[in-house]
Amino acid sequence: MRALATMVFVGAFVPESFAEFMRHRAARLSIEARPRRIEPERIEVEVEGEPDLVDMFEMACSLGPIDCLVLEVERTGSRG
Amino acid sequence: MSFEAGWYAVAIADGLEPGTSAGTRLFDREIVIWRDESGAAHAWEDRCPHRGMRLSFGFVRGDHIACLYHGWQYDTAGQCRYIPAHPDLAVPDTIKVTTYPSVEAGGLLWIWSEMTAEAPVPPPSDFAGTPVRSLYVERSPETIASLFSGGIAGPFEILSPTSFATVVEGSTVRLELQPFTAERTALHVVQTEGEPDAVGIAGWAEELRAVLESVPLSELTPEAHLARAMR
Repeated sequence: MRALATMVFVGAFVPESFAEFMRHRAARLSIEARPRRIEPERIEVEVEGEPDLVDMFEMACSLGPIDCLVLEVERTGSRG
Repeated sequence: MSFEAGWYAVAIADGLEPGTSAGTRLFDREIVIWRDESGAAHAWEDRCPHRGMRLSFGFVRGDHIACLYHGWQYDTAGQCRYIPAHPDLAVPDTIKVTTYPSVEAGGLLWIWSEMTAEAPVPPPSDFAGTPVRSLYVERSPETIASLFSGGIAGPFEILSPTSFATVVEGSTVRLELQPFTAERTALHVVQTEGEPDAVGIAGWAEELRAVLESVPLSELTPEAHLARAMR
């Protein structure tokens, strides 16, 4: 069973920092994370993988790296 | 001088009891050392892959160590095996702690200074001895090595760049140097010959630490070294 979700993070980002954070966490969790938009105030990413691990990815990114501030998370798609 | 990649003593082996964990440092890198219930010792990066908590604050459960924060459990290879919040999850192989090769010899626990999957050969040479205590000295590892090799802290035989021997009240004592941080050095004291005298050697070691911390840095210049040689 796999989940496919689109996550939108709204806040204040250092784009390269958040992109690297997503790449690192996705690799650690063995899921696919395909960035769609990476901007200073908005990040969009398509995520696919085992549902619990996709949930972990969302939680990790909602905290984010130290130089980024996530104010809001929107998620659409299946939960597996 | 600088220290090369190699085996470094990081603890007195018996001081790490089965079912316990402790934190140490090597070249300022934080390392957890822990011993599972079957008696095998392990040395890993002191950082849970989940949220970065120090695993040295965790709990040993059988042959797993569990992080204090959220209870993620790791097996003896560093692989995460159980996540309490997701008990049915097949944890992916990518959730793994980075490990250091470790081995016990001479009553001490040694780790290889680089993170590699396999223990480099040969392991540190074993020697017969009785570990006495570990000392933490507020001087750089390079300074401590210079003080020993220059004879400034007393006569020491240089066994290796990090291993020194001397005689204390008729007992031969070996000191293994652990580069803890750039400004702090650990010394692991082992009696290798003579009548057992842990109390006497421990007292001598404390006096040695006072000497090592009080020698002015001017004593370590090449000029000072030359002046001593001319005396």
